[in-house]
This record gives sequence, structure tokens and C-alpha cells, in this order.
Amino acid sequence: MIVAKRKPLAEIAANLQKVNKLLIVGCNTCVAVCLAGGEKEVAVLASALRLALRQTNPTIQITQRCVERQCEEEFNEVLTEDVAACDVVLSMACGVGVQTMAEQFPDKIVYPALNTSFMGRPLERGVWSERCAGCGNCVLDKFGGVCPIARCSKNLLNGPCGGSANGKCEVDPENIDCAWQLIYDRLKRIGQLDRLLEIEPPKDWSTSRHGGPRKIVREDMVL
Amino acid sequence: MPERPKIVLIGCAHSAGVALEELKSGAQRLPAHVEWVSIPCGGTLDELHILRAFESGAEQVMVLACYDGACRSVEGNKWAEKRVSAARALLEEAGIAGWRLAFHHIAPSMPLDLLRWIEEFREPAVAQEQPESSDREAKA
Amino acid sequence: MKSGSKLERILASGHFAVTAELGPPKGPNLEVVERKMQLLTGVCDAINVTDNQTAIVRLSSVATCAILAQRGLEPVMQMTCRDRNRLAIQADVFGAVALGVRNLLCLTGDHQCFGNHPTAKNVYDLDSIQLIRMIARMRDEGRTEGGEEVDGAVPLFIGGAANPFGDPFEMRVIRLAKKVAAGVDFIQTQCIFDMARFKEWMKRVVDQGLHEKVYILAGIMPLKSAGAARYINSNVAGIYVPEPLVKRMAAAGRGKAAQAEGMKLAAETIQEVREIEGVRGVHIMAVEWEEAIRPIVEMAGLLPRPVVE
Repeated sequence: MIVAKRKPLAEIAANLQKVNKLLIVGCNTCVAVCLAGGEKEVAVLASALRLALRQTNPTIQITQRCVERQCEEEFNEVLTEDVAACDVVLSMACGVGVQTMAEQFPDKIVYPALNTSFMGRPLERGVWSERCAGCGNCVLDKFGGVCPIARCSKNLLNGPCGGSANGKCEVDPENIDCAWQLIYDRLKRIGQLDRLLEIEPPKDWSTSRHGGPRKIVREDMVL
Repeated sequence: MPERPKIVLIGCAHSAGVALEELKSGAQRLPAHVEWVSIPCGGTLDELHILRAFESGAEQVMVLACYDGACRSVEGNKWAEKRVSAARALLEEAGIAGWRLAFHHIAPSMPLDLLRWIEEFREPAVAQEQPESSDREAKA
Repeated sequence: MKSGSKLERILASGHFAVTAELGPPKGPNLEVVERKMQLLTGVCDAINVTDNQTAIVRLSSVATCAILAQRGLEPVMQMTCRDRNRLAIQADVFGAVALGVRNLLCLTGDHQCFGNHPTAKNVYDLDSIQLIRMIARMRDEGRTEGGEEVDGAVPLFIGGAANPFGDPFEMRVIRLAKKVAAGVDFIQTQCIFDMARFKEWMKRVVDQGLHEKVYILAGIMPLKSAGAARYINSNVAGIYVPEPLVKRMAAAGRGKAAQAEGMKLAAETIQEVREIEGVRGVHIMAVEWEEAIRPIVEMAGLLPRPVVE
């Protein structure tokens, strides 16, 4: 899932000092699951903003909405009247949702309330960890199901580097496991350690974001 | 007497609520500037309750929940404490000083402690500067 | 001969090699380079020039190596994968060779979070093993990574790093084997303080016959003080100074007395590693303390340096 976190309140409020009618729109998919932009979070942000703006913009009117999935226009259609009636839309969706709103309602100012960070999974309540970098050429079969691109701080394909110590990454030993320790442990468990003897050639980065913004077209699906 | 700021208490019915009943049966009452909001358990507390209290005019909010081990939902009190920390951080971001939101563990047998906490619930520096005035108010 | 470099000739003729590190200045200050070159002349067989070490921006390795080469000194150009993609790496390698560089140490490179530009993007288009293989192919097959013919020869003696103290323990020798398979000619290890661990690693290396496929130079770092040792333990990934050595440094006191003890310890370490099967030389890293190298090499009985044809 996509994982995001609310921007600092001051940063959000800075754009709203002169706004009369604000529409806050949340999303019930990824950002609700990571407790950043769902219905509850929309209500809390609206209240916090009213408090934050009580001196500089006390007459701001805030409308709260939440849609099922903000990245699909069909779900956002229900907002058409609310969007028309407001001055600014504050989207609590991930970056995709924010941009969908901007594309769907191109005459409206749309601001993001979240910092969208990564594709990851929950580890325990309140903790999410990055797992996929969207490189466009999945090699998880070669590394025991542990991704060296997303989980190694240097995206090494022939790791580890000299900074691996006690199973942790030198960049942030408290929070980052050494991906290559994980890969080693996994390959050992599933009896594929010999894979580590093969030299993995330089990656073809052209399938990743480095090759330019991507698009997938399923011709078999397009009518 | 100086005017007291509006304080909202948000308390768990099983601990704070019972303590409040104790107070009333002892022919005492909460001071006039204090409003009481009951919640079924600390586990039902949301930041929104706290923020809305401030929006509705409260200048200070005190959250009360059971002691560890006493919560009927086992961890409801811990949840409440976490929500209070989160709300405090958000309030600070909104320009409202963190001391204005307090959290206390409470047992049903502690109505007098509750009164004392309310009395002592003020900005830290002020409490130190004016020890005499609190004596005067107690006598009056 | 892979490159005909002086370092290669020294090792090939069976001498115990000595290489040392030169840290370039934080700007185009040629006086600093001049001073350090003088400190290292006649004291070692080749001089490693670091490449934005610890992600701190310094005068580039290729430029500094060119200056050394012009002076008739033997540079080992260090190159990391952190700041350059395969295009820039190959271009800089062409440049280095054209300017007289014949030794290249291929490194992954410390993450930029450790340096003075922590908000920069990193590259890591390649890792150190892919880099070694790419350079070996350029040299031996005359082809670039993209498959085209290289216009000119790339006679480079290819080096890599090894850390007998970090890694998942089981992977340490696997990694060395992989670098050998990729085409590495010589290895410089991370600084040795834990002698027992180093001996254990060398034993495994020898068991696998790797010492006959690659020249291994043991990393030596002189300590300036007990404080320096403790700093390393707290702040530098991949190096660990055992407590007995920290105590020894502490007992020596401060200032010049501590430095003298540190140099003595380094010289002793050199003498001890000389006795280990498979060790073909030492690489001395005296960070911002190039003055220490001559006394250490002298105390270790390794002066004067041999001359080879």
C-alpha cells in the first residue's frame, strides 16, 4: 500500500491564511489504512486548522468530505458541487489522489495535506515500512523475496557493503535492517545460498522512474 | 477573586465518573468554571473530543482515565494517554500551549485528588509565582 | 602484466608492498597537495587518493592523481559508486588513464548522510563488484559497459576493498571470492585492530586459495589517541578498536606521547601481519596525519622502498 503522513500543521495552514471556503477531502483507501487521511483524520485536521487559524483567519468555513478512492474520477464525481462551492480543495489523499483532483477539477486550487512517502506494509499498529521502489523489473525471485532495490540504502545488487554491522544498516542502525543480511538469512533458509555466488549485472534502470514517468497500457483491455 | 478559565474534564465513567459521584454524595461539587464530559472508557477517546473542547471555548482540558490494570477494556487507559499526547502535539502545532491539556490516572476513591488537580491546573510558571493566592482561595 | 603499473610490478616480483593514503583538501588548494606529496615521497610504493571520502566534498581523485602522476609518483585512484553513474565513471576512467593513472580502487562509497551534503541525491548506478567487472572488461576486452569498442587502451591494475570485520560473518569470504571472479587484482582491507579476527579471515581466504588469485594488502590505521579510538568505535561504521588497545592508548597519555604510541602500535601491527600467510603488503591510512607514515614504515623495517624495472 501507499504510505503517507500528515504535513506539519503550520505548513498546511500557511497556504490557507486568506482562504474563505475550504473543502477538505479524505480518501478511504491507503491513507485511511495508514491513519493519515481517512475520514477520522479529516475531522481532526479540520478542527486543528480552525484552532490554528483562530487569530489570522477566524471566519474560514471548512467542509469535510471523504471518498472511497480519490485516484479514480468516478468516486470523486460526488464532490462536484462541493468543489464548485469552495475556494480551495485540501486533499488528504496520497500524491496520486491530489493530482487526480487537480486534473478532474482543473480550475480549482488543490493543495496536499500529506507527504506521500513509499510503497510498504504495516509491521504493527502504527508502524509501516518501505518494501517496493517500483523499479519496473522485479527481481525478488533472485533474492529470497527481499528487495535489494527498496530495502538496501545503496540499492546494491551484489551486497552487502562494508557498513553492515549486527544486521543493521550504517545509515540508520536503529531503524534500517541490512537488506543483505536479510537476503542472506532468507536464501540460507530456503536453500538458495548459491545464488549469492552469481554476479548480478548492472541494473537496467530504464524501466524505473529514471527512464521517465511511466504508463502501462493494456491493449487487451482498452476498447 | 480572579476569574477562572473554563476547564473541560473528559473522564472515563468507571473511574472519574464514580469519583465525581463520590464528590456529589459528599455534598461537594465541581467549581463553576469546570464542565464535565463522560466517556464510557478511555479507549473511546479520540483527539477530536479534545480539539472540539478547545474549539467550543475551553481554555484547558483535563483527561481522566483508570490506572494501569484497572481498565475494564484492559488497555483503554493506555489508549487515552496516547491520544492525549497526540492531541497535545497537534495543539502545540496550532499555537496552543501543551500545558493546557493534562492527563491523570484516577480511581473511584479519589474525588479530593480530582479537586486538587483542578485547583492546581494552571500554567507552570504562574503556579510557582503565586503560592499565597491559592491559600487565600482555599480559605474563601 | 595487467597494467604494468609500479604497484603491480612490486607485488609481482614478490616484494612486501606498502601503500598509503593521501586525503585531498576541501578545495583546489594545491599547497596542501604539494605538502602531502612530499610527506609520502619515498615512503611507499603507491599513494591512494580518496574520492569524496565519507561523502565529504574534496578535490577530486582524478585531478589529484593527475598531479601525482605528473610528479612521477604512483597514484591509486579511488572511485566510489555513490556520486557517479556508469557514464561518468567510464569517462573519468578514460581521463585518469590519459593522465597517467594505472591503479584504480573500486569502492561502493559511504552513504551521503555521513558527509557535508546529506540532502544530496546519491547515484549507486553500479555497485563495487559491477564496477570491478566493468573496468576489467574495458581493459581485457576493450569494450565499454554499453558494448562499444574503447578508443584506446585501459591498462589498469584493479583494486577492491574487503572488510574482514563487518558483513554477515559468513559472507566475508564469499564477497572476496566474488570480487576475484569479477576480476580484481589487489585488495586493501579495512583497518586491522582485531588481529584475531583478521587471522581467522585470512585463514579462510587461504583455505579457498584466494590468496593466490589476488594480492591482499592489510589495512593499517595509526591511532592518535584513546579519544580517537573511542570516536572510531562510536562513529565509524566497519571499524572497531578492541578495549585492550583503547586502554593501551589511554595509558600512553596525550599529545605527542599518545601519537608515538599509536605509531608504534601501527608498526607492530605491520610486523605481525607480515607473518600471516597470504598477506602481500600493507595499506596505511593515516587520516589527516600523513606525517605519521614515514616513522611507521621506518619502525616496521620497510625502508628504503624497493626499486623495480
